[in-house]
Amino acid sequence: MSTSVIFEPLRLRNLTVKNRILRSSIAGRFDNYDGSGTEVRINWDLKFARGGVGAIISSNAPIHERGHIVPGYAYLDSDDKIPFWRELGKRIHEYDCKYIAQLVFAGRERILPGLRFDSALGATDDREPINGFPCRSLTGEGIRDVVGWFAQSSQRAREAGLDGIELAGANGMLFTQFLSPAINTRKDEYGGSLENRSRFALEVIRAIRDEVGDDFCLGFKISVDEAPRELLPWLGRGNSVEDVVRVCRWLEDAGVDYFHVSAGTGFPHPRNPAGRFPVREVVRTYDTVLSSGPYTFRNYLVFKTWPLSALFRWWWQRPSKRLGVEGINLPGSRAVKQAVSVPVLCTGGFQTASVIAAAIERGDCDGVTIARPLVANPDLVQLFEQGHDAPPRPCTYCNKCLFNFIENPLGCYEEARFDSREEMVREILSIFEAPAYTGTSEPIEVA
Amino acid sequence: MSASGTSVIFEPLAFRTLEVKNRVFRSSLAGRFNNYDGTGNQAHVNWDLKFARGGVGAIISSNAPVHPRGLIVPNYAHIDRDKTVPFWREVVRRVHEHDCRYIVQLAFSGRQRDLGGIQYEKGWSSTDKPEPIHGLTCERMTVADIQELVRCFASGARRAREAGADGVEVHGCNGYLITQFLSPAANDRKDDYGGSLENRARFGLEIVRAIRAEVGDDYHLQFKITAVDYGRDLLPWAARGTTLEESVQVCRWLEEAGVDAFHVSSGNSFPHPRNPAGGFPVRDVVRGYDTMISSGRHTFRNYLLFRIWPFSSVFKWAWERAAKGRVEGINLSDSRAIKEAVSVPVLCTGGFQTASVVAAAIARGDCDGVTIARPLIANPDLVELWRAGHDRPPRPCTYSNKCLINQLESPLGCYDESRFTSREEMVQEILSVYEPPQFVQP
Repeated sequence: MSTSVIFEPLRLRNLTVKNRILRSSIAGRFDNYDGSGTEVRINWDLKFARGGVGAIISSNAPIHERGHIVPGYAYLDSDDKIPFWRELGKRIHEYDCKYIAQLVFAGRERILPGLRFDSALGATDDREPINGFPCRSLTGEGIRDVVGWFAQSSQRAREAGLDGIELAGANGMLFTQFLSPAINTRKDEYGGSLENRSRFALEVIRAIRDEVGDDFCLGFKISVDEAPRELLPWLGRGNSVEDVVRVCRWLEDAGVDYFHVSAGTGFPHPRNPAGRFPVREVVRTYDTVLSSGPYTFRNYLVFKTWPLSALFRWWWQRPSKRLGVEGINLPGSRAVKQAVSVPVLCTGGFQTASVIAAAIERGDCDGVTIARPLVANPDLVQLFEQGHDAPPRPCTYCNKCLFNFIENPLGCYEEARFDSREEMVREILSIFEAPAYTGTSEPIEVA
Repeated sequence: MSASGTSVIFEPLAFRTLEVKNRVFRSSLAGRFNNYDGTGNQAHVNWDLKFARGGVGAIISSNAPVHPRGLIVPNYAHIDRDKTVPFWREVVRRVHEHDCRYIVQLAFSGRQRDLGGIQYEKGWSSTDKPEPIHGLTCERMTVADIQELVRCFASGARRAREAGADGVEVHGCNGYLITQFLSPAANDRKDDYGGSLENRARFGLEIVRAIRAEVGDDYHLQFKITAVDYGRDLLPWAARGTTLEESVQVCRWLEEAGVDAFHVSSGNSFPHPRNPAGGFPVRDVVRGYDTMISSGRHTFRNYLLFRIWPFSSVFKWAWERAAKGRVEGINLSDSRAIKEAVSVPVLCTGGFQTASVVAAAIARGDCDGVTIARPLIANPDLVELWRAGHDRPPRPCTYSNKCLINQLESPLGCYDESRFTSREEMVQEILSVYEPPQFVQP
């Protein structure tokens, strides 16, 4: 079949993306501990701009220090961060590639807490269930603060000359913590009914629209299949697909320009990123997380001890076996697309041109976002253009990239994809190549 | 001793080819401020500038690996490729603006790689026995490997000179590779590099000669050495290590080979109960050591030990015993022994933060100058405080060693909350190393 639809432009309100492939939010701990940006993140994003994607969705950019997932990511929490993002956007635009900043407040999904705040702020007082990351429930005033931070950070993205923003509303981050009945235990106007659980997201969207106006692209990433029980069967029920679709209609009315469909009430989750659970890698890097929560030591022993590790891996990989990896979220995406009139993007292991084209033709989505397969093949779009249906050395969905990022530079850690370990390491470290050092320690002015 | 009696601290110190404006050096020290591959970052420049501004006469850089296999943990600035030169040039230029000299410390970890990184699974050492505390594994270097590494040290020195640095220091102490050759407790070789003292010293001497051959005679070259191994301070069953008499002899040979100054430290591991001497902060260790669990064979055992009372208390007691009551100047008697044997200046490290103690040590002839790490983290303006007449800073370093263990996962800085009016103030001070950021508004 023809895959030409992949190369047709996609319109997201004021924004025209040259093709249907966006790099999804992904990066390593490349920046400074305080959230100031470095050259390395620019090098990282440039890889994908050069490779031909139509737009890049930034790595999660915390709107406040308390909302980071791990330290070492560039924040958008204050005006002095704007010059960095401006430089990043400028460099990406040279490749006719758009840049969308993903704004995050992690809530209780805080893998490494950092120095200032012992407990996270979220929708609930309950700990994050897998690692036991501590969390305190946001008060009404706290919610107003967070809403304001989202609006201010959006304005900063606009001032930096970026092309839009996306709210990290999926994967267990703060929006999910409000939206999902499996997590939200509030008794106030932000908990209980679906309307109440959506209130926070709607307030954020309205506040952003008030701040940045109507002519700035605003996307919302959402978990359609929440599947909280996929890993821990004793957890509460999540939203049904029907409920999530209702929420999307409300969000669209409030001013959302596109939806980005993902899955899961936590991160990582057996459905996102779907694929393997690489036990050896996990044992090597999960140790860094041991001081983050009371269940981490138990988990570490499980990962370290056969046959518990094998049992856990089997349990983790079940959904991927059942549902497949590439296109795992297409049914959810289709449900949203049928209910809303704005474009819908879908994530989930895409790396086959015919699969992507068929999904778009079928009306499951309008475009796809890709993370891991682009880590493996940053030039994936060019490979498609050259007529490859799938890259010669495809992503194996081993998820070794995911578990290495906490201690090591993000990159493809699947040795089987390389001729040698040295070749793999060279490729990983290539993001530190030119410009390795700009040659001045005087601050660089970015107008 | 009165404050006026401390003027010797502010007298210049003349080495053969280098003059430093006073007797206070910042010792080798930095956090994981750079990129994973060893390329430099703005934060490293900001870090060193803190101390240049504070008035030290010279800065000895953080350990700069001369080869990527020789890192201790990732994210320190390397000097292992020519492309690292522009970064060092910039550091040096900025430090010089404060009339402060800059000495690059050329390092190779050997088997003591706390976090080995992704490039090399095992470290290189004189031996193939794992490092004893964490069980960090290593490969025994062949003679060809040794020759290659000697060349790497020489190239590192050449790059430092190209970058405009005022000298180099060979990191020959604290259990890193050169100690692994020098110490009979580690070196079990049967070839020309093991056995007799002469053989064990061969590697260090070859490095010094190779550097001299590469950079010439008119460049400052100092050598940091562990005067005494004190290997049994922590592990009473350990084999006999290097004695003071042996180190004195090695220093004599090194001086003949072209060393311009010695920098005296102690201990055949890092950390070691005597270096940095002081507290064993159990809670911080439990929080920071976890990231090392995957590094060695004994790390998980150690982690359990640190985590579980009363083992943690017993370990803390055993650790703190060796240096009890004598942190400041703990190495002075060793330094004196070396100073008496050589004719070049001798620097001594070990908890210095009292002007009268430093001045007395210099006046007595224990050393010619001091190098300082932790007390400068606590008070980067220590020299200015002394000049203003303080004998000791109002908020002295407590030798809690919290800085040391926190640097694995968090930015280096003073983590002793009791020194600050609030935790918030402490965190602000720690994060100030990122000011200014690299990209700013015009």
